[in-house]
Amino acid sequence: MPGLKIGKMIMRSLGGKPATLMYPVIPREWTERTRGHISVDMEACILCGICGKKCPTDAITVSRDAKTWSIKRMQCIQCSCCVEVCPKTCLLNEATYTTPAAYKIVDTFEKPEEQGAAANEGSLQCDDTCVFCGICAKKCPQEAITVVRKEKKWEVDDDKCTRCGLCLEGCPKNSLKIE
Amino acid sequence: MSETSERKDLIQDIRAIEASDLLASVADVKTAGYRLGQACATKTEGGVELLYSFEKDEILKNLKVSLDEKRPEIQSISGIYWPAFIYENEMHDLFGVTFKNLALDYGGHFFKTAMPTPWNPAAVSAADDGDVDDGAAAAASADDADTVGAADETSVDTDGADEKKGGEA
Amino acid sequence: MAKRTVIPFGPQHPVLPEPIHLDLVIEDETVVEAIPSIGFIHRGLEKLVEKNEWPEMVYVIERICGICSFGHGWGYCKTIEGNLGVAVPPRAEYLRTIWHELGRIHSHLLWLGLLADAFGFESLFMHSWRLRETVLDIFEETTGGRVIFSVCKVGGIRKDVTDEKLAEIAETLNGMIPELEELTEVFLEDLSVKNRLEGVGVLSEDDARELCAVGPVARASGVGADVRLDGHGAYAELGFEPCVEEGGDSMARCRVRVREIFQSIDLIARAAARMPDGAIDVKVKGNPQGEFVGRMEQPRGEAYYYSKGNGSKFLERIRVRTPTNANIPALVKMLQGCDLADVPVLVLTIDPCISCTER
Repeated sequence: MPGLKIGKMIMRSLGGKPATLMYPVIPREWTERTRGHISVDMEACILCGICGKKCPTDAITVSRDAKTWSIKRMQCIQCSCCVEVCPKTCLLNEATYTTPAAYKIVDTFEKPEEQGAAANEGSLQCDDTCVFCGICAKKCPQEAITVVRKEKKWEVDDDKCTRCGLCLEGCPKNSLKIE
Repeated sequence: MSETSERKDLIQDIRAIEASDLLASVADVKTAGYRLGQACATKTEGGVELLYSFEKDEILKNLKVSLDEKRPEIQSISGIYWPAFIYENEMHDLFGVTFKNLALDYGGHFFKTAMPTPWNPAAVSAADDGDVDDGAAAAASADDADTVGAADETSVDTDGADEKKGGEA
Repeated sequence: MAKRTVIPFGPQHPVLPEPIHLDLVIEDETVVEAIPSIGFIHRGLEKLVEKNEWPEMVYVIERICGICSFGHGWGYCKTIEGNLGVAVPPRAEYLRTIWHELGRIHSHLLWLGLLADAFGFESLFMHSWRLRETVLDIFEETTGGRVIFSVCKVGGIRKDVTDEKLAEIAETLNGMIPELEELTEVFLEDLSVKNRLEGVGVLSEDDARELCAVGPVARASGVGADVRLDGHGAYAELGFEPCVEEGGDSMARCRVRVREIFQSIDLIARAAARMPDGAIDVKVKGNPQGEFVGRMEQPRGEAYYYSKGNGSKFLERIRVRTPTNANIPALVKMLQGCDLADVPVLVLTIDPCISCTER
């Protein structure tokens, strides 16, 4: 008959099981790469704040004074920019979604006390091979390094420095070290 | 990787022309068989730059016109390419560019923005023409079709309005 | 003389996926003139270039639309790469092509469902979207997201897909073909569907050229324009012919999109078989300076991406001109002379993506 070409599909769906999942009674199966939520390993975190600067939606706030790392869950777009730029790779994009809620969830994590002193040990030093090119000063996210080429001056503000190590990677003469 | 000679998308052809030459150049382009691609505006230091893109056989030809920031005015190309009215209305709403002889003119109400010309606050076109007053009335009664017709030049709307009034009388 | 009334259509209407307003001037159930009005969801996304640096702007641009999301991401990356003069490695081009074609399949299946909903055939709508779920599962397994992927970046792509996974994807899509053929047979052969689509909203070839229509709307009227012919991505090596139909009515537009689904499945299978090895990205140095106009074939048609840089970390301008923007004049022409009951179907046959149009 010219009509009801969909007859076969209808018969099949009358017999088979439903195409939908009774979520949330039956939990969903996540794939390995699902971009769910960001988790942080606070023991490794050095509170450098680069993730907060790079976040396109300003979802991450890092406070060095209060020693906290907080994220606005509903603002996060799971792009993994923070995961890629973290110098200590302490961020991870986990495969489960944030549980829906009726308010905007903000999760704050504190740095464990006993780790506080150990992480900031050592300070940034520059040796004689420095050519005062200024690349380290440009790369520093905290603007802690000052380089004046004409006066051959290189100095670092130890309080601002978070020992993230971005300057070490950028130095063309490998003159920098943290110890 | 395909050779650059096969990559027609990498060929860029952007030429700057004067505002007075626009209609003549566009008419030439139309005769050569090009299709209107898009028209957009960019805010530059002290001015507004319009870019018209035309396409034929996967090759693009772009024309660039520079206008003044405070009173950007130019002839509309909707007489040659009718679909240009969409891009020109958008440029009018966001950048304050005034187009003369626009085929279908929404009078500044094409997009709903929080402030008159968000990309180019220095433009003085909309405030001076008094369109804002008509616009406020139109925005208030958005589902009243007569006020939409008030801003347009299409003949049918005025006929429709007359017919309605005739019907009611 | 027949009485004329003006009926407002939209912005809230059960059949519209996104708000568009049309003032329909009708004469005894026949539409004489239609005046479109948009602007209800203008978000001003292009102005965010002032706030977001150009590497992060890709996340804003891909969120212009949920259906053609990968196309926007690729288009943005393409225009910045053109600006900087960066050549992307072949493996990245092939993977981008595969994701883009998968996006086309899911977009056309979504559209078929909405079209069925437009003329009231809800069970067909449900079946189309059930088939679409397979494609969304593929997206989630390879990129991590079902709708927004965040996988394209300037210089290449962020995630690699193993060759075994690609073979699995090609096999899954091939397994979908029998069900797809059953589904599309309903759209093209069923009597009730034919009554609603054949002869409705004819756009002649001259009109399509005059009004600069793009995408399937133009291809259904005999205009064989397709951006994939210009050799970007992997299309030049895979060989590609656009699907063109004569007739210009709604059934022709439906037929073009159905053929494109099968063509995309074939393109993906061939690309997966010929996938080159190598890196998936290149390091990008410097900031964009100068201008570049790039184009992309979205599922809805041709999209323009224009970027202008001034050497700093913030772009001066990014402009996205989406296909629905170019198809609205064609819609206005198509609506002249149709019945009032055909208006929802016609508005849907141009595949309106108003959030793209207004950004």
